[in-house]
Amino acid sequence: MADRKPGPVIPREAASLRTMTATMAVMCYLACLAIGALILINRAVDNWARGLSQEVTVQVREIEARDIDADVSAVISLLKETPGVTGAEDIGREAAEKLLEPWLGSEGLDALPVPRIIRVAVDQARPPDFESLAADLKQVSPGASLDTHRRWEDELTRMAGTLTALSVLILLLISGSAVAMVIFATRAVLDANRQTVDVLHLVGAEDAYIARAINRRFLATGLWSGGLGVLLALLTFFILGNAGLPQADGLASASRSLFYVPGASVWLVPLALLSVPVVGTMLALVTSRITLLRMLRTLP
Amino acid sequence: MLELQNVGFRYGRGQDILREVSFRLQRGAFSFLTGPSGAGKTTLLRLLFLALRPTSGRIHLFGEDVTRLPRTALPPVRRRVGVVFQEFRLLDHLTTFDNVALPLRVQGQGPADYSRDVMDLLDWVGLKKQAHAYPPVLSGGEKQRAAIARAVIAKPELLLADEPTGNVDPVLARRLIHLFAELNRLGTTVLLATHDQGLFKQVRAPVLHLQDGTLRTL
Repeated sequence: MADRKPGPVIPREAASLRTMTATMAVMCYLACLAIGALILINRAVDNWARGLSQEVTVQVREIEARDIDADVSAVISLLKETPGVTGAEDIGREAAEKLLEPWLGSEGLDALPVPRIIRVAVDQARPPDFESLAADLKQVSPGASLDTHRRWEDELTRMAGTLTALSVLILLLISGSAVAMVIFATRAVLDANRQTVDVLHLVGAEDAYIARAINRRFLATGLWSGGLGVLLALLTFFILGNAGLPQADGLASASRSLFYVPGASVWLVPLALLSVPVVGTMLALVTSRITLLRMLRTLP
Repeated sequence: MLELQNVGFRYGRGQDILREVSFRLQRGAFSFLTGPSGAGKTTLLRLLFLALRPTSGRIHLFGEDVTRLPRTALPPVRRRVGVVFQEFRLLDHLTTFDNVALPLRVQGQGPADYSRDVMDLLDWVGLKKQAHAYPPVLSGGEKQRAAIARAVIAKPELLLADEPTGNVDPVLARRLIHLFAELNRLGTTVLLATHDQGLFKQVRAPVLHLQDGTLRTL
């Protein structure tokens, strides 16, 4: 008899907890998707911003009574002599026209004074002084202007900030819903076991003992549902990454890149996803304990 | 040990269930509490095991005024009181063994500490063979004995029993009364609420008679 494990003071089979397991699993699944999206957004914006800051552009506009080819050559010579510039290349009139095609169409572009574009590679570690470079370019060619892509970078940063805030908001909403659901489930468990709780009180159990006994149910429920949610999310990312759906090509490569990006930590995503059941369980435990102790205080 | 001074009770704004009830039980006493159905016996017992609070008067238990004891102070007092409920109130999801061990478990004891005591007590009340059975498969008499075993396992100083022989045949009722008398002989104060006047002949003890919410000693 001494070796036998005593039965749980709160019965295992509580219908409300079964419902909670399913709903919590969905919440954890959504939280994993939101975390995955958050990581992807941040990585994509980092990549775009890095690409933009590696390059600047110089535009040379045609000015009456000036030879644009000579201006372009002079600008390229100046750029190549500028410290911090690692390369300068005229993309050519054809390529410049191609850039305008989406807005103006291909007809009649020959007649337009299309500016010449010079792609300038910069040393990110020691970038040139852009203000003095812009002034020097004006000296060499009055039609030359420097575009550091600062406006695009700012736009990207703003967009990334908005998307990140949106993901965080989604995570907060999921957490809020989970808290509300745990409170509801705690009340349901306590109501369903009211007779048991009364007997426990009358044989001298303290509120903390009863709360601990009920909390154990929530520990198991939290871990189960969290694990299930993560598994479902991993399965979703795997299917998206390998399904080979042509209409979801971007989604597929994004799902694949979530788990392997050269140079990024391999553990970041798994650790972030694994934090979901841990945080979910902690949330369930703390919420149910606070709710229980509050409710138990109202009993005789 | 136990003293009630002018205790009154009513539910909400309803009529009085108990009026001006006063009595005292000395340590080691054995008393019956009797009266017709609806006289307030169960309510009085509920006041004594602190499941209800009186609307007037004072209750002293173990030398302490427990009338307005804060909730956090109730468990240590309740652990000194054993209660046999009229409707048994066994937990259906626990075995007879675990039901009986419950008061010791809530005090923090483990199976290694209480197994022998629980088995000895189950043997004493004739339920050793039913130790692993769950309450729904026990007969009324077996449930009654399991409820009694649970009430006395922690060696309470005060034992309150509400119609403890109400569901058993006369032979078993006699056995149970002897069990209470034996516990009383070992030092437990016993207050036994019953309709059964036949029990008064088996144990010579004062009888508190409750009628229409007021108490008199026979």
